[in-house]
Amino acid sequence: MAEKNVENTEEQERLLDEALQVVKMESFHMKRELDKNKLMDGLKHASDLLKELRTSALTPKNYYELYMAVCDELRHLQSHLSDEFQKGRVVSDLYELVQYAGNIIPRLYLLVTVGVVYIKNKPEAREAILKDLVEMCRGVQHPLRGLFLRNYLLQCTKNVLPDHAIDESEKQEGPPALQHSIDFILLNFAEMNKLWVRMQHLGHSREREKRERERQELRILVGTNLVRLSQLEGVDVNSYRKIVLNGVLEQVVNCKDAIAQEYLMECIIQVFPDEFHLQTLRSFLKACADMHPRVNVKNTIIALIDRLAQFAAREEDSGIPSEIMLFDIFSEQIANIIDTRSGMLLEDVVSLQTALVKLAFKCYPNRVDYVDRVLEATMDLFGKRNMDSVPNGSALSSELYNLLEVPIKSYNNILTVLQLQCFAPLYEHLDYESRKRIGVQMLVNALEHHTLLPSAEQVNSLLMLVSPLIQDQADQPTDIDMDDFSEEQGLIGQFIHQLYSEEPDQQYQILNKARTHFEKGGNKRMIFTLPAIVFSAYKLAVRYKELSDEDERWEKKCNRIFEMCRAVINTLCQAEIAELPLRLFIQGALCASELQFENHESVAYEFISQAFSLYEEDITDSRAQLAAVMLLISAVERCRCFSEDSHAPLRTQCAHAASRLLKKPDQSRAVAHVAHLFWSGQITEGDGEPMHDMRRVLECLKKAIRIASQCMESAVQLQLYVEILNKYMYFYEHGCTGVTMELLNQLIKKIREELQDIEGNEESSMIKVHFENALEHIRNHQQSGDGQYSYEGITL
Amino acid sequence: MSGDNLNTRRLDAPRQELADAYSLPANFLEIEVTNPETHGVGWRQRYTDYEIKMKTNLPVFKMKESLVRRRYSDFEWLMNELERDSKIVVPALPGKALKMQLPFRNDEGLFSESFIEERRKGLEVFINKVAGHPLAQNEKCLHMFLQESTLDKNYAPGKIRST
Repeated sequence: MAEKNVENTEEQERLLDEALQVVKMESFHMKRELDKNKLMDGLKHASDLLKELRTSALTPKNYYELYMAVCDELRHLQSHLSDEFQKGRVVSDLYELVQYAGNIIPRLYLLVTVGVVYIKNKPEAREAILKDLVEMCRGVQHPLRGLFLRNYLLQCTKNVLPDHAIDESEKQEGPPALQHSIDFILLNFAEMNKLWVRMQHLGHSREREKRERERQELRILVGTNLVRLSQLEGVDVNSYRKIVLNGVLEQVVNCKDAIAQEYLMECIIQVFPDEFHLQTLRSFLKACADMHPRVNVKNTIIALIDRLAQFAAREEDSGIPSEIMLFDIFSEQIANIIDTRSGMLLEDVVSLQTALVKLAFKCYPNRVDYVDRVLEATMDLFGKRNMDSVPNGSALSSELYNLLEVPIKSYNNILTVLQLQCFAPLYEHLDYESRKRIGVQMLVNALEHHTLLPSAEQVNSLLMLVSPLIQDQADQPTDIDMDDFSEEQGLIGQFIHQLYSEEPDQQYQILNKARTHFEKGGNKRMIFTLPAIVFSAYKLAVRYKELSDEDERWEKKCNRIFEMCRAVINTLCQAEIAELPLRLFIQGALCASELQFENHESVAYEFISQAFSLYEEDITDSRAQLAAVMLLISAVERCRCFSEDSHAPLRTQCAHAASRLLKKPDQSRAVAHVAHLFWSGQITEGDGEPMHDMRRVLECLKKAIRIASQCMESAVQLQLYVEILNKYMYFYEHGCTGVTMELLNQLIKKIREELQDIEGNEESSMIKVHFENALEHIRNHQQSGDGQYSYEGITL
Repeated sequence: MSGDNLNTRRLDAPRQELADAYSLPANFLEIEVTNPETHGVGWRQRYTDYEIKMKTNLPVFKMKESLVRRRYSDFEWLMNELERDSKIVVPALPGKALKMQLPFRNDEGLFSESFIEERRKGLEVFINKVAGHPLAQNEKCLHMFLQESTLDKNYAPGKIRST
């Protein structure tokens, strides 16, 4: 018995094998003697096989295996004894007799076996025997052996404990039977817990870790007591509170052992019903405050909260009974726990608060104030512990992030999040990366759930909150991933369209407020954000126009909007980009032209002329120049709001710009494009009629041909001729009588001649197809012969 | 005793106080022999000593934790003192390893790592057995050996009165 627990696995296996052999052999003899009705000899062999359980050499795992083998054999003995009892053949002093077994281990196992058989047949002896057994087992104080012995006691008595409040007839005789069952299990539990905790002190302190591992392996033996208690059907909320829970917690708290406490608290949560937990929250949570400092009570409390939240979700109709102030109890007790346990890490504190917020949301979805209360408490704790800024990548940072994420994800409505007074101040503690991530979360959430921000105040608070996305921060890193950056800014651009009020005046306030935030974003952000603001503003102007019957000041308001847009676009010009503001100006001019409010002509003129200045001063790339000139020409052509006085300089400006382009092909194309300006452009004096300035149209087209002829490359030249041919056809078909068949014939002939000389390649065949298509078009018109545009006189 | 009357009568033991039930064992004593160091140069000058680290909650010891350095000959001294003054059967020390001390060996002899480690283990077993004995715990020599930084071999032998 004194031999040490042997480390070597091979040696362990050998020892286990030997022991199992002995058990097998002795059990064989036992059965043979019992079959021969030699009870005394049978018991002798039973005692011998039980002696194997006296070993100290086996690891807990192997001891368990041996124990299982022994139990199997004892079951045989038990059923044999039961039969004999019923036949009346067993002498009743067997209970005393087995106590003469020489060693305590076999003696107590036999006593338990016989005792239970006794109870089954003479229920009136139950109480006395149970009490006797549970007391006698104190005789084994070796942790491992004691734990298994008591486990055997618990297994054997499983079916003989009365589990209901006893019926009338028995009520008179002293305390109810249920009470005995509870006392029995509680006592056994206390003893087992004591043995289990004491295991810690066995052996050398350097082997502490190994012992802790072994204790974890054995914990289920102790936990079984709690399972058994939970299986007593007679236990109601009252007796649970008064007797069971008190009894269990007394041991758990006083054992002052982290492993036992962590496991047993978890056990209590898992084995007893939720209805009981709801009625005993205070006792349970108070016990949590008293746990050993090494116990991470956060896990225990979170496990309880999770269970109750699930319960509330499952019992949707009944929910948490209204008389139980679940949230109040938890928040008060958690505060107490945090207060008592000053050594608790702040990240653990925060994760507790996260659980509390989740509970509040699941059980009381409408109580936004509950969530705010938790955030406030958390904020105070940060203050108390002088935690100003949370370092990036720390456990605390990720816990705080998790906490703040809950309201966003739970409410799926950032307006509700904005209602939380303590959200922003708490958020400010976070590091740059986490703040940014929270910001992105909020924006994505708003987009996914189509949340609109309907007032300037809300827009203001939100944009302040997500400021790491809006403007540079003191604590941002120096190197920023440009891909991430563009993605974030694109997100903001999208989000700007969520800033929307049904009320146009409010919408104006919103945009004006938003703009002040975005203008602080610096060049690299403005190009993403300001265009969205400008477009929103144009849309708003259109809304005012639609409301012109209801709002007599609509024209003034439109004016103000364009004034704002001009300022915003000018801010954007500082970002050293010209193409984007140029387009925004053109868009504004077109919009103003359509809306026809008082003053719209000068607004449109101003916008176009600003676009011209940008073109002249800031666009240098020749391709960008062509694109800009084309846009400007089209815009002037489109705008219907100009009087001759405004239109004339703009026309001239367009023609001038077109003919000043650097490259000949660009010039030719732009000049041909200007022709449209003189044809379908409108001035206010024209009463809605296009200008139809035939002379200028022809001038432009002829000039385009002349420029084309100066091109060195014959393929380019040809391409331009075919394009101009198409222009001629367009104007001819739109009633420009100056386009004569002679002109067309000349051009067609010229193209044909050139085509013969050109080298055959992909490019030239493309041009050929283009040309053939044009001729095909003419042919179709000739054949359909609908008189007016029949191209009579064209030789194909 | 006959019939169904079981004799389970007993005197109810007083309920164990919770503080007692879960208290630390009252006889905790743990001694580690570690960290051997070899000092000095030359035959008969060179020796190895060990760190003797003790932790206990036994009231008889003045200090609950102590740390001293001792060499093999100090252990021999302790063994002799105990054999002379106390009534206990003193366990054996690990051997003196005379063979290891012969000259002209190929290895480090007495100072080879494997030998030192073997001796260290033996000394640890020895001192734990000795110090765990209640009668030895009364001997002044043991207390001096475990807890005084220098070993005064000219001390006045005697008993420690346990409190």
